[in-house]
Amino acid sequence: MASSKIQELKKQRQLSNKRKKNQVIYGVVCIFIVVLIYLFLLKNNFIYSFIWKIGLLIGFTLQKSRFCFTASFRDPIMVGSTSILKAIIIAFIISTIGFAFIQYISTGGNFNIRIEDIPGQIDPVGVHTILGAILFGVGMVIAGGCASGTLMRIGEGFILQMVVLCGFIIGTLLGGNHFEFWDKLLIRNSPTIYIPHYIGFPLSVFLQIVVLIALYYVADWYDKKNNIMMTM
Amino acid sequence: MSQQRIDCMYEACPIPLLKALKKLKTMKVGEVLIMETDHSCSITNVVEWAKKQGHEVDYVEISDGEWEIYIEKKQ
Amino acid sequence: MRLWKGLIKKPWPYLVGGIILAVLNIILFSVSGKPWRITTGFLYWGMGIIEKLGFDNTNWYYFSVYGNQLNEGETFFNNQYTILGLSVIAGALIAALLASEFKWKIIKNRRQLFFGLVGGLIMGYGSRLSFGCNIGSYFSAIPSFSLHGWVYGIFMFLGAWVGCKLLFKFLL
Repeated sequence: MASSKIQELKKQRQLSNKRKKNQVIYGVVCIFIVVLIYLFLLKNNFIYSFIWKIGLLIGFTLQKSRFCFTASFRDPIMVGSTSILKAIIIAFIISTIGFAFIQYISTGGNFNIRIEDIPGQIDPVGVHTILGAILFGVGMVIAGGCASGTLMRIGEGFILQMVVLCGFIIGTLLGGNHFEFWDKLLIRNSPTIYIPHYIGFPLSVFLQIVVLIALYYVADWYDKKNNIMMTM
Repeated sequence: MSQQRIDCMYEACPIPLLKALKKLKTMKVGEVLIMETDHSCSITNVVEWAKKQGHEVDYVEISDGEWEIYIEKKQ
Repeated sequence: MRLWKGLIKKPWPYLVGGIILAVLNIILFSVSGKPWRITTGFLYWGMGIIEKLGFDNTNWYYFSVYGNQLNEGETFFNNQYTILGLSVIAGALIAALLASEFKWKIIKNRRQLFFGLVGGLIMGYGSRLSFGCNIGSYFSAIPSFSLHGWVYGIFMFLGAWVGCKLLFKFLL
């Protein structure tokens, strides 16, 4: 319960409120439109209609829970809070189990096949990964949003994030255009490392979950220990 | 009862939090910081942070997508 | 009415969001065969735009390697990344409207504009080097048991740290 001072301020403020518009009606109109689009997609392409449905739920969840990958990296550094990072670690544990099932079923338990035939995001790792990650990390903090956050905030009405999206598109075009250079310099010589190829599938699932649980406890400890902010 | 006000309209994350932080440092115990913001993340982000610091905190929606966050400095 | 308030009006805890997103990503992966990705879609939109502007975009090296080419029957605007990107925006819009918290938020000053544009630019460039963004190379890559997801996550922290320093210096 908040203190009496705050209660009083709140009460005063609520009395002098401008009348709020109710936007639910616009929301219902939007739902109607997305359902129409869904039906249109369903008629033409089942996979698209399914992706449309999942994407809507993802967007809804991102907005409702204010889920922000940028904050998960930024807040531990800036204010010592790891609550979003912990939520992401839990998400990783769940999706590790789910992805493991999918990969196991689609490969039939035989993992000694070409990496390209294993479903999932498995790509070369090397110096280019490090460069890309650092660039992305800097960019998301100064722009105030990552890829998912940018999309979600456009939905919330941030005009700034539309600018970020324009920057994003130009950036991917430049990156795609220079890809040949980077490929010949770095990517071509980098290995694609699918962890189960090295230590076996059951062990990698087990180890990954153990590491994630350990990270969760580290994050929890860090949160409790750090109550101060980064020195400006 | 003294109170301070900061305007964080149109500011993107994490500027509202940092502004509140800066302001709170200059305030005396018992004063209330009133923060106006239209960033939906602030009402979880700032509130959570202020609670962790041991301050009293609450917020109220003043208009569509605009909130006032009240933080009473406790220490 | 109370359920409405709890579910629609108030923000959800982060943990609930994380669990739902993980489950949705698993469902998406199991049905479409590809986990959640975003930035490749941005590149496709960019390619589509420069095509509309009359530039030649056919012989890009990028689309000849690492399975980057469009699937059969897809174009730069008609593909599953477009569907996914637009639906995420629409979902967030609906969530904001149902909670009556939608508001057009204007750009406050030139500095904000500049940092937004530059931030987006380097994020886009970085995402091409590392085969994806915070979703494709991190949120979907670590559960895929690919080492690059872990490396990406660690170095994104380093980048975020540099970004924080810049933020304190120029934006506050």
